[in-house]
Amino acid sequence: MKKLKLIIIIFAVIFLTGCSESLLDTTPYNAIGSTSMWTTESLADLGVNGVYQTLRQDYVGLNRWYFDQESSTGMSRGATSLTNGNIITTDGLFVNYWKQNYEGIHRANAAILNLPNSTMAAEKKARLIAECKFLRAWFYFNLNQVFKGVPLYQVPVTLDEANKGRETEAKIWETIVTDLTDCINEVNLPNIYAKGNANYGRVTKAAAYALRGKAYMYTKDFVKAEADFRSVGTMGTSLYQGDYKLLFKLANEQHPEMIFSVQNIATPGLGSVTQFYCGSRISFGSCWNNYLPNPDLVDSYEKKDGSPFNWNDYLPGYNSMTPAQRSVYFLRDGLTAAEITTFTKYGADMTKYLPVGNEERVRKAYEDRDPRLTAMIITPYSSYLGANGTTPYTYTLRWPYRGFDTAAPFDIKTDTNTMFYYLWRKFVYEGTETPARDYGPIDQPLIRYADVVLMLAEAINEQGFKEEAVTFVNSVRTRSGVVALQTSNSALPTYVGNQTALRDRIRNERRWELCNEGVNLFDEMRWGTWKDKKFYSGNGIKQIWGTLTSPYSWRGDYIYNWAIPQTEVEMNKNLVQNPGWIN
Amino acid sequence: MKKNDPKQRHRGWPTLKKILIIMKLTTVLIFMALFQLSAKSYSQETKLSLKFENETLENVFNKIEANSQFSIFYKNELIKDSKEVTGEFKNAMIFEILDQVLKAENLSYTVKDRLIMIVPKDYVANDNAPLQPGKKVTGKVSDSSGASLPGVSVVVKGTTTGVITDINGNYSLANVPENATLQFSFVGMKTQEVSVAGKMAIDVILAEESVGIEEVVAVGYGTQKKVNMTGAVSSVKFQEMASGRPMINVSTALAGVSSGVTVRQGNGKPGSDTGTIRIRGIGTLNNSDPLIIIDGMEGTLDAVNPQDIESISILKDAASASIYGSRAANGVILVTTKKGDSKKLNVTYNGIFSVAEPTNLLDFISDYPTYMRLMNESARNIGTAEVFGSATISAWDTANKDPNGLNSIGIPNYVAFPNTNWNKEMYRKNLVQDHTVTVNGATQNARFLLSAGYLDNPGLVENTGLQRFSLRSNVEIDANKWLTVGTRIYATMNNTELGNYSNVLTYAYQSTPGVYPRYDGLYGYPEAPEESATANNLYPMLNQLKGEDKVSRMNATLYSKVKITKDLSWDVNFNYNKRIDEYNNYNNPLVGKRVKFSTGQIMSPLTDPSLLSTYYNTYGSNTYILESLLHYNKTFNGKHSVTALAGYNETYAKSYNHNATKKGLFDQSAYVFDAATTMISITGTASDWALRSFFGRINYDFNQRYLFEANMRYDGSSRFSSDNRHGTFPSFSVGWRASEEQFMKNLNFLQNLKFRASWGKLGNNASGNYDYMALYNPVSYSYNGLQVTGLAPGKIPNPMLQWESTTVGNIGLDITVLNGRLSGEMDGYNKVTDGILTTPPIYLTLGLVGAPTLNSAEVTNKGFEMNLTWKDHIGEVKYSISGNFGYNKNTVTKYKGQLVTEWRTDATGAPVYYSNIGDVSSGGDTRVLEGHMINENYLMDIYHGNGQYNNADGTVNIEGGPTDGMIRTPADMTWLNGMIAAGYKFMPNLTTAKNKIWYGDYIYADSNGDKIYGNTYDKNFTGNSSMPKFTFGSQMNFSWKDFDLDMIWSGQAGNKLYWLERGYNSSTTRTGFQIGAMIEKDHYYYNDTDPNDPANNISASYPRLKLNESDGQNTQSSTRWLYNGTFVRLKNLTLGYTLPSKIAAKIYTQKVRLYFSAENLLTFTKFPGLDPEMGGYTNYPVIRQIAFGTNITF
Repeated sequence: MKKLKLIIIIFAVIFLTGCSESLLDTTPYNAIGSTSMWTTESLADLGVNGVYQTLRQDYVGLNRWYFDQESSTGMSRGATSLTNGNIITTDGLFVNYWKQNYEGIHRANAAILNLPNSTMAAEKKARLIAECKFLRAWFYFNLNQVFKGVPLYQVPVTLDEANKGRETEAKIWETIVTDLTDCINEVNLPNIYAKGNANYGRVTKAAAYALRGKAYMYTKDFVKAEADFRSVGTMGTSLYQGDYKLLFKLANEQHPEMIFSVQNIATPGLGSVTQFYCGSRISFGSCWNNYLPNPDLVDSYEKKDGSPFNWNDYLPGYNSMTPAQRSVYFLRDGLTAAEITTFTKYGADMTKYLPVGNEERVRKAYEDRDPRLTAMIITPYSSYLGANGTTPYTYTLRWPYRGFDTAAPFDIKTDTNTMFYYLWRKFVYEGTETPARDYGPIDQPLIRYADVVLMLAEAINEQGFKEEAVTFVNSVRTRSGVVALQTSNSALPTYVGNQTALRDRIRNERRWELCNEGVNLFDEMRWGTWKDKKFYSGNGIKQIWGTLTSPYSWRGDYIYNWAIPQTEVEMNKNLVQNPGWIN
Repeated sequence: MKKNDPKQRHRGWPTLKKILIIMKLTTVLIFMALFQLSAKSYSQETKLSLKFENETLENVFNKIEANSQFSIFYKNELIKDSKEVTGEFKNAMIFEILDQVLKAENLSYTVKDRLIMIVPKDYVANDNAPLQPGKKVTGKVSDSSGASLPGVSVVVKGTTTGVITDINGNYSLANVPENATLQFSFVGMKTQEVSVAGKMAIDVILAEESVGIEEVVAVGYGTQKKVNMTGAVSSVKFQEMASGRPMINVSTALAGVSSGVTVRQGNGKPGSDTGTIRIRGIGTLNNSDPLIIIDGMEGTLDAVNPQDIESISILKDAASASIYGSRAANGVILVTTKKGDSKKLNVTYNGIFSVAEPTNLLDFISDYPTYMRLMNESARNIGTAEVFGSATISAWDTANKDPNGLNSIGIPNYVAFPNTNWNKEMYRKNLVQDHTVTVNGATQNARFLLSAGYLDNPGLVENTGLQRFSLRSNVEIDANKWLTVGTRIYATMNNTELGNYSNVLTYAYQSTPGVYPRYDGLYGYPEAPEESATANNLYPMLNQLKGEDKVSRMNATLYSKVKITKDLSWDVNFNYNKRIDEYNNYNNPLVGKRVKFSTGQIMSPLTDPSLLSTYYNTYGSNTYILESLLHYNKTFNGKHSVTALAGYNETYAKSYNHNATKKGLFDQSAYVFDAATTMISITGTASDWALRSFFGRINYDFNQRYLFEANMRYDGSSRFSSDNRHGTFPSFSVGWRASEEQFMKNLNFLQNLKFRASWGKLGNNASGNYDYMALYNPVSYSYNGLQVTGLAPGKIPNPMLQWESTTVGNIGLDITVLNGRLSGEMDGYNKVTDGILTTPPIYLTLGLVGAPTLNSAEVTNKGFEMNLTWKDHIGEVKYSISGNFGYNKNTVTKYKGQLVTEWRTDATGAPVYYSNIGDVSSGGDTRVLEGHMINENYLMDIYHGNGQYNNADGTVNIEGGPTDGMIRTPADMTWLNGMIAAGYKFMPNLTTAKNKIWYGDYIYADSNGDKIYGNTYDKNFTGNSSMPKFTFGSQMNFSWKDFDLDMIWSGQAGNKLYWLERGYNSSTTRTGFQIGAMIEKDHYYYNDTDPNDPANNISASYPRLKLNESDGQNTQSSTRWLYNGTFVRLKNLTLGYTLPSKIAAKIYTQKVRLYFSAENLLTFTKFPGLDPEMGGYTNYPVIRQIAFGTNITF
């Protein structure tokens, strides 16, 4: 009996504690099921935030600046597969560029499809849909810029449906324009957000006009482009007018010049990393000088009077010397005997060396120049406010490097101490402006009004030479203290007299103004100048005086149209590779 | 002596049958005592202290037995009239005691070791049979090792006439009829019958009953006699291994001990040095780990102290594993821990001290001038600027001639001009200690075992050590006649040092010899001006973090066994398993400070406390299992034996994870959150899964001859949608013990022969917890400087997700012949896994979302495995050698269709090469394709020309060119240029130039004939993968007197490892990175301006050095870098010595064993990389241990 009782009790305990019906119905703790997604206002907001978040992908937004290493304005410290001419269809560049932008497209498609069914005020709903359409246009823009015609998806797809073939380049531009036109027609989309607005960082009508105008630039529809760029100017945007260097500082990240930016805050995973890769060992937190200004860019900056810069004017005979011989001009004062031996061996023309005044002589070559040069680039014997830990120090770029991080002579230390390169100042934090090297607080501009204004000048000029185009170029020049161009006095170096001359001027202006912002490479590809400006014979990664570190090599004209990623071509039979590429 | 059931304690020997009952209980243990413990003459060395007060002789004998290992045999009649005994003995020999207690009786005794026989004083051995007509037969009975067997019953068949053999195994039986047959039987041995016709003397060697008829093996939810098993189960007597080897974890110790079981040790880092166990190859494309069951409950092998383990069973086929249903597809490993079983209290100590060192290291060039010259060579080779100035190189050359010379600030040259060998610097020998104390015992109603263990493994690399503390308590109580309750509780705590070994690994090749590691307590900085500032010093990398890393595990089982009727019992088990990981790290500011020793300049200072951050992570998991089992066991008519099991199980597991970081410590000594200023991040998540199962089993055997078993399990899992979550897993198996058949009984050479066959179905639910649901996961963005949360789709869902199911057919054979000297098991199997859970690559166009988990491929593993054991002795040397061998052939039998590669014509009629590789196959350099093995290597081949160059007409010979793919000579170069001029393309670099294709570069074969050499269509399946086709192992055991020698070998063959690793065997250099020592002398160099340059090395096996990361000409995935992964390794060698018990007794112990043991002593392989067992990459080397151990029972 006792036994039976006990057995019954144990049975009872088991069936009370176990056997709960819901045992197998587990649900995740940190995610929301797609069926409930988009149903409430709050979830819909979060979904749209998710679309924006794609901008934090390297090739979508956050790090588009580093494409300028492949352009004539920047260079990488080591050879890249694109510049050394060995790039193949499996390259990670193609794969990641493709994947990251398509990620944004699918997120935007889901939002655009589902937002209409969510519960929220109609005005807000309309605005959010417009924002997502802009973002979708942005992603397709990025793709079409390089691949020239890609598969088009405008509604969410299942696993098996993602195998469409490519649309033509024109068709993609058309859909981009359609999406952006929807944005522009959306009354609930604000023209711009004022500084400090809680929505700052979201899409605006100004951004939509700017991007649509740029799309027209690609289709060479300069009339429409001009109209759109003019519209941007009516949205409340303006060119920044203060100390040019401060345009890229925290205080001005929400200036009306900044039309659309990747939002950064000083939080791990949500900040900027430009200084990490463009700084040097004495920038905050010991950064890496992976990306460098191209000496061609530095040499192209005009003199203050608008005339072209020529080394011979400052260092007579410079142009006819070999690069190694020229290096003498960049040496620091007071070289030791050992250093002199070293540089003699290196091939420097030490007869030109001044134990005192060598630094002063070369410094002059940078002083009398377009002020943007020294505002954006650390030139020899100029100083830079770096930091060692949390202690700021002022360092100077000298050659050869002697030392030290925390003591005189406070030379700028790089990862390439035995090479002498220019360094970026633009987007590199000074002193203790950032709490860490890998999450700086400053927003990364994607569309800037200066970019728009120069494109407006370009759009006008492409229709025919016009004084007004010059005026627009001048608005960008003069605000940074560069002498204005004019069309009246042909004796002056500032004279531009015809469409071709202005075209060159505008192109250079875009290089000088927009360097290291991820615009130049795509400009060169759009203009077809990439090969001539970057891959001209004898060019390569080079030191200030022209000694090559690694030569460039042009793989073929077909690289103007990037390769569709090899694995995607293999998996999706409908995709046709761009001509020239070998699978 | 163990006497389980008091009712069976019949005394006396009125009939032989009664004796046999007693013998059954005792002889196995006697046998073990006599022949396994190798103790010498127990009777002469054992001293007893006993006290008797007016006790019967029976009581006296009982006391002797209870306090010693003696067994006493006697006839009840002999002592029924005996007088009561009183006496006291202190440290008396058994002879003294027996003399004393028997002196008043008409009794005598004989003693052999632990066996005592009480006989009448006038007893004459072998001559106690009644007079009958017939002849007298005498003889001796011994076992297969030649030792005599006392106590064997020798009966005239069909009568009750018989004797038992005496102490020396001799017998003498009078009056045996001429036509009689003698039956020799002894428990644990195979009964033998011999006809006496024409014989006067019959000596018999009794064979052991296969591996021991009573050997019991753990199977799912129970145990089974080995002879009755019908499935493929390997059992490992782990206890014996563990007491003799330095064993840091359980999994690696299983290597080489069982066929069909592959154990690969991925690395030797304390704490992550557990082996990857594969049973019968890889059956699936995802998690292939077997299910681990510890004392009936799911667990992990890391959590068990090896010393606590008694045995391990490995369930290999579906028949034996399907009772575990949905998670058993990769096999099941059952671990049984020790129980208290001795009436005496036993205290055992196991201690091991071992010296550990890396089994292998791959060196880098450490002579810095050599390094600098090679860096310069690599720059010159591609036409770029040299890296190091000649002044720097000559300064080093000079300093190296006088390493101890001091510079102006008193720094020796060897520091100011370093030539650092980072391997030598980082890896060191260490002393591993492992101690376990076990106490076990039993009373009439309770059995218990307590153990405590401590392992200290300081690691091969500074600050990577592990300490493990473990405790166990197994207690079982018979509450009354029908209820037994018990607990099994164990806990471990691992303390791991925070040294970041993966940093050492990552940065070992991201450094150069030009950095002095540590001098005067300070960390060095690159000394040469040209050296990259990013050339790492590994010490700061290793010691970056301070803090603690503790993993605590607690596992408690409460169980009850209710005996409902004689045949039916009911078990209820409840298990709670808790793991908690407490991790904290904070930056070590000291590592920031680095010094250029040659100048004394501090190149980077101590990190400012405001930049130091502190991070806490807590991970916890809780699992409960509730289980109810009904067992039924009955034999009908003495021949039909039925056992049955019905069970219910539910499991729920939840884990969580909390992380937080704060930055800005006011001082490096204060690192808790209250001491930090700025919040950086807080994150956390949780997940759970559940399983509910019903299962059952029926075993039937007829006369232990025909065996049948059926299993069924019905599982429901939370990982699948409610429509797909239930699965049924049946299995059936049969066995035939042919040796039990009459017609086989007379085959004296054959002791056991059993045929087995089984079929069954298993499952695998190794998907993510919520993979069937479409989910949006959190992401972060910001507007106007404020962080916001977003939601984005995380992984493509698959609502149709289901079990992956594995069907295994198995046939097997167990055989024992030659009186037990040779025994073996053979199994053949066909294992088909269908609906394999995989995440095949998806279209890149789908973006960054995770690929869905799909039930995709079908994989078939066919294999054969075999264990053979030979046991014998040569004189006094006993030995056994067993070998196991497994062959497994893996084929993807269904995937996405057949590969088609062919030439087609396009619309214009031009030939186009067609390949559907992307449609039907997935992967990269290793791929999955129907008809091929899983993850078969898919590589291009280097070009093989015929060594000719031009055709007779002067045109380029397209069959010509270099024979081994490398452009080595000007003739090769001319040929290549000719080919390019003729329109052939050589990928990836296309043209010839120093920075394109040049002397010392590889070109690749054009396997599809499209005139493009080395494009993606030139990749081919190679017919091999990194998984071995053959695995083998061998255990050898020799003993002589008190010495024993054991060896365990293991190995694998038939696999190929792809290995091309920067800094080791790659010729690609990079500033701030190492150059592997193996390419120093063996890389191609050709000075094309001076063909007679003495530095030229055009027959080298590695390509030319190139200072370029992005040039893929020599680093294409090709068969050039595919190496044979065959190896044979001496996993363990142990030489042991057991102290004679006389000496052991003097130091108050029962048994003392001392041994030297070496783990991973020798490896034979042609693989040039670190370790073929790890695979084609470099990791924390596996350790070689030379150990001294002791094993003491008090």
